[in-house]
Amino acid sequence: MAKISAPKSNREFIDACVASGDAVRIKQEVDWDNEAGAIVRRCCELGEAAPFMESIKDYPGFSYFGAPLSTYRRMAIALGMDPASTLPQIGAEYLKRTNSEPIAPVVIDKRDAPCKENILLGDDVDLCKLPVPLVHDGDGGRYVGTWHGVITKHPVRGDVNWGMYRQMMWDGRTMSGAVFPFSDLGKTLTDYYLPRGEGCPFATAIGLSPLAAMAACAPSPIPEPELTGMLAGEAVRLVKCETNDLEVPADAEIIIEGVILPDYKVEEGPFGEYTGYRTSPRDFRVTFRVDAITYRNNATMTISNMGVPQDEGQLLRSFSLGLELEKLLKSQGIPVTGVYMHPRSTHHMMIVGVKPTYAGIAMQIAQLAFGSKLGPWFHMVMVVDDQTDIFNWDEVYHAFCTRCNPERGIHVFKNTTGTALYPHATPHDRKYSIGSQVLFDCLWPVDWDKTNDVPTLVSFKHVYPKDIQEKVVNNWADYGFRGAKK
Amino acid sequence: MANKWEVFVMDLGELAEGKELELTIRTLNDGLHKYTYQRAKVEVSAKLDQFPDSLQVRLGRGQLSDRKFSIRVIERVERLPAQYR
Repeated sequence: MAKISAPKSNREFIDACVASGDAVRIKQEVDWDNEAGAIVRRCCELGEAAPFMESIKDYPGFSYFGAPLSTYRRMAIALGMDPASTLPQIGAEYLKRTNSEPIAPVVIDKRDAPCKENILLGDDVDLCKLPVPLVHDGDGGRYVGTWHGVITKHPVRGDVNWGMYRQMMWDGRTMSGAVFPFSDLGKTLTDYYLPRGEGCPFATAIGLSPLAAMAACAPSPIPEPELTGMLAGEAVRLVKCETNDLEVPADAEIIIEGVILPDYKVEEGPFGEYTGYRTSPRDFRVTFRVDAITYRNNATMTISNMGVPQDEGQLLRSFSLGLELEKLLKSQGIPVTGVYMHPRSTHHMMIVGVKPTYAGIAMQIAQLAFGSKLGPWFHMVMVVDDQTDIFNWDEVYHAFCTRCNPERGIHVFKNTTGTALYPHATPHDRKYSIGSQVLFDCLWPVDWDKTNDVPTLVSFKHVYPKDIQEKVVNNWADYGFRGAKK
Repeated sequence: MANKWEVFVMDLGELAEGKELELTIRTLNDGLHKYTYQRAKVEVSAKLDQFPDSLQVRLGRGQLSDRKFSIRVIERVERLPAQYR
């Protein structure tokens, strides 16, 4: 594999984004109370450069980096690619790297770990010493974790999990968060810690390298430290925590260590989420008690402001969910030609392109998709043929509206697993993660005669001979049309 | 100086007047600890001059209510088990 030159830290990533014009340095003071959140939100809705806010009210020495991965350009920069790379190119690179050999992390000495430059223990621990932002007006609290990794380890299996579970500051020593029961951490808690009444050690890492954040967000079966190494082409550097045996990314900006309490809960939420809504009310949720805080000098806190499209919650999750499903379907020998989630679907609709070589192939795809670990995160699967460009919404929408038979093409799956964030779900279903899902089969039936039963697509590129197409395209400007449209 | 507080409720009926309530409230006082929570025994009143502190109310999805209250914080309630303090 060619040498990968990707940013190894959040700081290197910011520098690369500033250099390419994909981040803006904001020198004037910004208020952590709503103003920073509003800046990030507007950047997301306008598709703007990422804001690097270098002066935070009340918090000298700290800075914010918002909307780190809310554009495909910044995703390409994170991977060390040309910012102008196309989405299929970025996807192909992700698949190539994540199909390579895992790269184990290395543990370094504490003295070499930037995240240990400042250490708060005992009575010095106070989350209010960090510039925790109020991201949206009306949120249930200031959110410590919006773009981060919550690091835990299964005590028996040894599985390490870096997951992006939102975390709200309840008081200076306490955070609460949304941990779904079907998530890796949710399973570890219900499988081991809660029945035993034991606290679960955790560490929250903020200001990760963009590829570590990408790994924490990806629904991959590969452990995140190894996945980060595969994406970066080299081992990620870890360092042991101060108060527990977990290992954290040494180059992270801020580390918060502590214990998830097994028998005590405080309120969490509401919070504006990637669906574009505040869906669930506040409730008593998983509670994190903080024992230590470590951080770099001049630490930068990363902020994702989720809401209506498009932010990294939609863009990156759409990207990684789609590609992980593509890997799963190909591993089962299904002739998929591509999988894509349009970020504007807020990663709710999976579009699968396939060569329709046998009957029931769309149903097989849906059953695998909904039945997999990925399934709770989306509730619609649309299957189109290999002649439809899955990245072109106009083509996909046309296929859906014309080929999906209302009686035979729509299949509802009931009593599946959903998330508490689904706006369309009832309050009861949200509370208990009860879902329902649907397949839109947009394939021509295989038992239709391809000559006489299957309609012919009437479009410029499908109905005219190649020589006529070339003649018309080549003469386009001569006909009097502006620009030589290819 | 009077303190400013905020509470989240699903229904304004949760803020009954004339009796002691136990609520989770957050401070709106300016400073580093703004928006941090505590559990407290309180009394509330729709008469804004009844008690020295003010209480702002948000509903289930964060909507700001136009109803305002005054509040008296009687005492802080510590629910956190002793072994975690």
